[in-house]
Amino acid sequence: MAVFIDLNISHTTDKKRLQDIIETAAHLGFSTVAINHVVDLQQKKQEIGKPKSVSELFDQFPIVQGKSRPIKVLNRLTVVVSEASHFRPTNEFKSYDIIAVFPKTEKLFHAACMSFDVDIICIAVTEKQPFHFKRPPVNGAIDRGVFFEISYVPAIKDSTMRRYTISNALSLMETCKGKNVIVSSGAEKPLELRGPYDIANLGLLFGLSEGDAKAAVSTNCRAVLLHGETRKTALGIIHTMKKIQPTMEGQEEDNAPAVKRAKMEAV
Amino acid sequence: MFTNLEKCPRNLLVCEKSCFLNEKSRHDIHVAKHYFNYKVSVLIPECGVIPSRLRSVVNGFTKYYLVRDLPVYKLLEEEFLEKVASKGSIYALSYNTKIDQDNTIALLPTGQLILSVDKDTYEELGLEGQVSEYNHRQPMRYVVTIDVTSKSVALGTKRYKRAMWALKEKMPLRSDFLLARHNIAGDEEGALQSFLSQHNCKELRPSVSIQTLKDLPCPSLDPASLRGGGELCDPHQFLEWLGAVTIGVKCDNEASNFVSTYCCPEPQGSISQALLCTVTGLLLPEDIHSLLEELRRYFDEPKFTSWLSVTVHGFADSPISWGTTEHGYHKGGENFYSFVVFKNQDYWLHMGTGTNDGCPP
Amino acid sequence: MQPTDKMEESAIYERRVFKNASVYHYMKIALILENEDKRMNAAHFKQLIISALKDLYGEIGAAFPFDVLKFEENTLTAVLRVYNSGLVKLWSALTLLGSYQNEPCAVQVKQVSPFLLALSGNSRELELD
Repeated sequence: MAVFIDLNISHTTDKKRLQDIIETAAHLGFSTVAINHVVDLQQKKQEIGKPKSVSELFDQFPIVQGKSRPIKVLNRLTVVVSEASHFRPTNEFKSYDIIAVFPKTEKLFHAACMSFDVDIICIAVTEKQPFHFKRPPVNGAIDRGVFFEISYVPAIKDSTMRRYTISNALSLMETCKGKNVIVSSGAEKPLELRGPYDIANLGLLFGLSEGDAKAAVSTNCRAVLLHGETRKTALGIIHTMKKIQPTMEGQEEDNAPAVKRAKMEAV
Repeated sequence: MFTNLEKCPRNLLVCEKSCFLNEKSRHDIHVAKHYFNYKVSVLIPECGVIPSRLRSVVNGFTKYYLVRDLPVYKLLEEEFLEKVASKGSIYALSYNTKIDQDNTIALLPTGQLILSVDKDTYEELGLEGQVSEYNHRQPMRYVVTIDVTSKSVALGTKRYKRAMWALKEKMPLRSDFLLARHNIAGDEEGALQSFLSQHNCKELRPSVSIQTLKDLPCPSLDPASLRGGGELCDPHQFLEWLGAVTIGVKCDNEASNFVSTYCCPEPQGSISQALLCTVTGLLLPEDIHSLLEELRRYFDEPKFTSWLSVTVHGFADSPISWGTTEHGYHKGGENFYSFVVFKNQDYWLHMGTGTNDGCPP
Repeated sequence: MQPTDKMEESAIYERRVFKNASVYHYMKIALILENEDKRMNAAHFKQLIISALKDLYGEIGAAFPFDVLKFEENTLTAVLRVYNSGLVKLWSALTLLGSYQNEPCAVQVKQVSPFLLALSGNSRELELD
């Protein structure tokens, strides 16, 4: 049992809309959200740039419903890969808190599970799963502390996608047995977001047990953040100094424990 | 594959039948040991105006305080324990903290300080505790109980000093608190006030709301028949009706009604009017006890009704519910009890609770 | 239903424990419409939920009864009652409901409990600021 986290708020250049989504997330009881920047490397001219500092979003971050703390906002990068050569971690990766990969082929899924230096592997929800989830790579990912992500918003918007979401999720669960799964939104609008307990209940449709479904919006997301912290700090034990970011008031408080956790986790 | 979609998390309802006049009746213990109460609602059938004595009891509920950003160790300091806590029963519960997500802290009038904390806080604190009953695959929550009334953690002992150091220096926990004290006679308010004056604090009074409900169908009750059965309604049906009346649900729908088929259980009578009086805040067991005593006296004079009820809801995010039984939040944090007080001083006590909770005593 | 430990002592004392004996679950929900001017009555509201159930579970899967015990038109808040076996289905259908008359909407579930009475005393609604 940990705080509730949504690791997939779709990035948009429309600042007002992004603010609205984050406000709604705070209102629904999410303590942390990540803004997801998607880069599809198959398309030409796609470049991975640095994300805008989240501190530019709000002067005062919205308070989480029923708590005394402001919501914490992170940056996430999702790289869509259809060829192995696409995935080349660059310096820019370091400016994101979380790195996700969306592998389009079985071979890349295998590579993502076994060797890519990422925190999250995205599962297709807008199309039929194009390959089987084999046990060795899935177990490999679980052993490495990498998590599988199912996004629920397409299932709200379209009944065909709803079918894909549920059936792809069910075939994943057959292999991973409910371990290392996170459920996030992928929201582009405030009204697409749902509350943590609603998502936990929805997780039952995806084949998760009650406990695993709740973990998919809380404990497991926390583990992803820790994984991200350790990845960023290479070995994970170097991070002994508190990051001082004077521009990020309100955020800072929450940052400190994350740093500390990363430290403990790695030891 | 989808069989688990029809399952529901566990819930418990414990029902007792006894008589207030019975020496062994435990009603007062039940009330005293349900420490953190959020709301109490009284339903008196065939009553249009609140009796003046009852009004003065509900208006006399102890005031409470919202203390902002209080360091937790302050609740263990010698001065606080000796001047504030020992001179009455003190109750404190962290406010705006969710038991399913955050660190939650409660101070009981017994002198126990209970910290229900996440794994990180627990490891950082370094105090001895128990793994929470309500964990999933891995322990993510722990419960630390510091009992300053026990010999081993008394003031000045090693373990007391260690607890103080842990909370003051190692992991300086702070939280907003709801705090109240039931004063014993002849006690001076001064010490509590001087403690509060050192912190950002707001005085609050429990809020009282009074409604008169008109023309209600009402199930027939027989004090001897707690279980219902035969013709009478069972405890769940009765509590459902009580809930329906309290939140204003229509109770006389036809079975063919499209929107709702809910109907008051048979056999039923009707009530021309009923008084519904609700008090909300941090409510002390001592006040609820006086309220219950006053309600028993309601039948000293002849009345049109043969029963009345009083329902007490606990805080959903309290780390404890019944006595010191660990309480959690699964899909909800319900923990409540409800007395039906009969004219002949018999009573029913219903205690209801959700999934992450122990069995009521 | 498992009645247990019936105590001896005085004839009048009786104690019973009911585990999972509640037949129903209750939900307090709010419908959020993008178009805030839109009005709706209880029957429309129930129809909307029924169609959400059918969308997700089909005619047979959705053929279980539930009641709209209370509906407030001005706030679009409601109290629902559903058999235990239908709770997960009803809840998930509400979660996946995303539009009403071709306009975006969302259902927020405020509270779920096996006791209707518990819906009248939710301390998470306490606001002191």
